[in-house]
Amino acid sequence: MSSVGGATLAHLPFGDIVIYITPFTLTLFLLALVFTILVIASRPERQLDITFGADRIITKETGLTEMRFRRFMAIACGLASMGAMLTGDVFDFALFTSLVGITNVGIVAAVKSRHVQNAAFQYGLVAMAGTVPLFGAAAMVAATTGTLSMLELAKEATSVVPFAVKAFLVLGVMGEGMAPFYAAKAEMFRAPGAPYVIMCSLSSLLIFLRVIEVVLTV
Amino acid sequence: MIPYLIFAIFFGLLLLGIHRKTIARIQRRPGPPVWQEILHMLKFAFKVTWIPATASDTLFVGVVLIAIGIWTAALFVVLAGESILIIFGIYMLHKIVEHGFGLSSGSPYGKFGGVRSVISAASEIPLFVSIAAIAIYTKSLMLSDIIDYQQVHGPLIFIIPLAAFAMYMVILSKMPYGPFSVVEAKELVSGYKTEHFGVWRAGLEICNGLKSYVLLMTFVIVFFGAVPFAWLLLAMVLIIITLAFVCALCPMLSPFDSVTIQTGIAGLMLIYALYLGWTG
Repeated sequence: MSSVGGATLAHLPFGDIVIYITPFTLTLFLLALVFTILVIASRPERQLDITFGADRIITKETGLTEMRFRRFMAIACGLASMGAMLTGDVFDFALFTSLVGITNVGIVAAVKSRHVQNAAFQYGLVAMAGTVPLFGAAAMVAATTGTLSMLELAKEATSVVPFAVKAFLVLGVMGEGMAPFYAAKAEMFRAPGAPYVIMCSLSSLLIFLRVIEVVLTV
Repeated sequence: MIPYLIFAIFFGLLLLGIHRKTIARIQRRPGPPVWQEILHMLKFAFKVTWIPATASDTLFVGVVLIAIGIWTAALFVVLAGESILIIFGIYMLHKIVEHGFGLSSGSPYGKFGGVRSVISAASEIPLFVSIAAIAIYTKSLMLSDIIDYQQVHGPLIFIIPLAAFAMYMVILSKMPYGPFSVVEAKELVSGYKTEHFGVWRAGLEICNGLKSYVLLMTFVIVFFGAVPFAWLLLAMVLIIITLAFVCALCPMLSPFDSVTIQTGIAGLMLIYALYLGWTG
């Protein structure tokens, strides 16, 4: 398809990492950038929780060490998301996407709570399993077409990437991008840290949106 | 452009007012005047504003600006005839905004609203199906190309009616007082927006007005093509009235039922997209 994310505004051949900018990738990149700045500038909220069996409300605090680690992970996640939004190389997209998965596990796992760590463990297993189809798809793109460049693949009149390979790529992204569902299960209910949890959801959403463009383009 | 943006905000709020009034009349209540949502926005803009002591201050304020920013961008994307995939992205990002509204305050009501917003992610999938169906027929996702296609082949609503239905369901899932409005249900006070008062709530109202305008305008342009401006506004009013009928006659579902039904619709729509891909 000729025009998925709009006309190409610019592309930077930066070694293997070809960056290409369309209105779509630029929009997603800017959103990742804005939320990363928000993560840097925000302090976590203090969640109010109702104490069952008593007429009492408690306020949860986030420790400094935990906050620093989760903020670091959230910023790394933002940077990985920005990379995944702009890259024009299928392998680099897989690499940035897996980095999003790893940092999301870090954001969730830093909370010292049994429920939250259970969720992080389960999500970690799914994300790890997701890397197989993700990188497998990138390898198969190279094997079937001889290139990993999205710009080169987009030049073909009809798609030369087999449907199964595209399905593998989507499957891999689904595995990496499952974080919000695990985070929603435990973390949001039991642990404060809205700016970091939002980065989990945002990065997952962004890689889902980008993979749609990738599979329609190549 | 700025006058058009202001017009879109006020007309979007008027549409929400018409929606609310129609629901009330169907339910045999007098209901508020149709301009009530505009009054709400103006009232909140001049009320005392504060940030809760437990809130993540920067996020609490930043998310309001992002909400207005993304829908302003969406409006200009539609006007410029750019890729419908950007609209899809912005629509999905609205979920992150709801999530941010809910979590940033530290309030349990907001938190539950934010969590409900995440778990109802299935409501977005029909929009993807809609876009896939459009792509199969028009071979492009640029709004300008979609308009050109319809000038030759006629309105897409007659060619791919189920894709139009999918997008209609997506708009319905974002309407207030509807069967899927679990993120702002009354048992959560106002859900994700409970703690945003004063000028922050005015900002949220502006975002809601813009969102309604952009989504309905996109629906009309994508499925009916380029129509004169007066007809566009009339079509938007008619669509909002049909949505009001659905909202007035369907009770709000429980979160579980809401997600189950949305997932079911999403599954059916995915089968439809695969069928179109197979035959098209």
